[in-house]
Amino acid sequence: MSTIMALSLVLLAVMVLVGGHKGALAFLSLWLNFGCLFLAIILVSVHFSPIMVTLILGILMLALTIFVGQDDLMTTQTAFFAAVLVLLILLVLIVPVEHWAAVQGFGMEDSDELEGMSLLVGINFVKVSIATAVLSTLGAIAEAAMAIAAGLSELIQQHPSIDTHALFKAGMHVGQQIIGTTFNTLFFGFFGGFLGLFIWFADLNYSWGELLNNKVLDAELILVLFSLISVILTVPMTTWVMTKRLQMMRKKPR
Amino acid sequence: MGQFFRRWWRVALLLVGGLLLVGGTRYAAPLYRQPILQVTASKVTTVTKTKDEFNNRDRQYTQYLTGRVLNGKHRGQTLQVKNSYSASGAFDQRYRVGDQLFISRSHKTILIKGLKRDTVLVALLWLAVCLLVLLLHRAGLMALLSVALNLILFFLAIELDLALRSVGFLYLFGGLALLFALLTLWLILGPTKQMVITFAATVSGTVLSMGLSALVLALTHHNGIYYETMAYVTQVAPQPLFMAATLLGSLGAVMDESTDIVATLFELKSDKPAISALELFQAGRQVGTAIMGPLINVLLLIFIAETFPIALLLLKNGNSWGYTFSMTMSLGMAQSLISGIGIVLAIPVVSFLASRLLVTKAGAVK
Repeated sequence: MSTIMALSLVLLAVMVLVGGHKGALAFLSLWLNFGCLFLAIILVSVHFSPIMVTLILGILMLALTIFVGQDDLMTTQTAFFAAVLVLLILLVLIVPVEHWAAVQGFGMEDSDELEGMSLLVGINFVKVSIATAVLSTLGAIAEAAMAIAAGLSELIQQHPSIDTHALFKAGMHVGQQIIGTTFNTLFFGFFGGFLGLFIWFADLNYSWGELLNNKVLDAELILVLFSLISVILTVPMTTWVMTKRLQMMRKKPR
Repeated sequence: MGQFFRRWWRVALLLVGGLLLVGGTRYAAPLYRQPILQVTASKVTTVTKTKDEFNNRDRQYTQYLTGRVLNGKHRGQTLQVKNSYSASGAFDQRYRVGDQLFISRSHKTILIKGLKRDTVLVALLWLAVCLLVLLLHRAGLMALLSVALNLILFFLAIELDLALRSVGFLYLFGGLALLFALLTLWLILGPTKQMVITFAATVSGTVLSMGLSALVLALTHHNGIYYETMAYVTQVAPQPLFMAATLLGSLGAVMDESTDIVATLFELKSDKPAISALELFQAGRQVGTAIMGPLINVLLLIFIAETFPIALLLLKNGNSWGYTFSMTMSLGMAQSLISGIGIVLAIPVVSFLASRLLVTKAGAVK
């Protein structure tokens, strides 16, 4: 049996043991997300526009992460709308920055890996770098939006007559509570992967100037910074969507 | 009034200071030892249509750049450089007027080493810091502080590893993971009982999942895990490097989750002091179940999305889906699964520890 298969079975087993039926659904959502990511790469390889592919599959992946296995509609719908809005803002920010930074494709440090391959494949790698940046941050956006929306809908249940100003303050307060740990999830998630790269840089005595302008490192750091920015933006956005929703629900005559 | 003024003074300092820093990088050429050229004119001369053996069509351009040297002993000199780039730009790029480029000169040949990217990096960092401090105030600053301190620890550990020539590599980074967890949780929670429980749960959840995964890897003989595809391997063997990367990668997510669960259980306990250990345990399990899926997804997307460019290149070079997966994503997938196991196992561990410790205290009161 292949190791990936065995590890998947172990994960499925522990997820079902701990979470029961919901655990199984969460496992399914994980693989569906992976399927979407792989599909995105295949669609881009047959010359679909990377940005359109990212937008459509990105929204689908947000829906998969947020809706599968969760049943509180107040939380999930709010989180989903907020996450899609953050995704759109992020795209507007990422497109010019990736063009400006020109960190697309590969750097000198990747030369070994590229040996013998044709690089003239007719796909714009700047657009691929935009797709990469958006896709890698989707999980963090979904997670933060869920946390804020869940906190706020619990608050609304406990205090049904809360005014929107207080709700907004509460949302920012939940954001302040989660931001520290969320940053650490992202920091460790990315820096675990950087370990090899950093040992390489240290080993070959790169100077600070070289590091600061290195294509491979800058590509990675830009991914981290975009993830951080998108998580920060998710906090007020989710809170705002929740207040709008509450206002609309109150206006509606029963 | 005074407080209001002080607050705005700080915001203004952050905004103006950052803007000056970002703008300043455009004039930072004298700080660099490598010669820097600012492009003043560009002319694209030839276009060649290309077609490779896999029928991929592309275009290659030759570009003549004129520029002014910004630093060093040839400062002010005007130079001409040739650049060739492709429409796809996987390993090259087009330069524009205003771009600052690192060059190297030997005798009469001038080579472009790469774009000066410090301005965009500093600008993005500034944007992130501004948003963080303006929207989340003190909590934002603390989050930033913990990331900065962890970064320093990370660099120190790498220097130490090089000094030790990577002997005991896994022990070093295992120890580093412990330090990371201790420092981060202390910064977030302070020296409280909550912090001790979260720390214990993080460590035991991670140790359990690493042990279990090492067992699975050994039993399946690492079948389908291509360590040789690991990028940027120098002096450390790929396999320990993979384990260390996985350990660090899952640590943050496990801490995130344990913090959430412990915080909820503490709140529950103070709301309902008579709650039983079993009820607390079940509540912890419920909170954990709701957040484990999204958390594993965060890591999966981080680990796999990064392989987009190389996977695309392999596909366009006539490789099958299966081969492309094995060569680019099998390591990231294994990493996600191992981290996932850790994230899930931490739930019963943290719920058990918290429920026992919280209820014993109540028992003593009775």
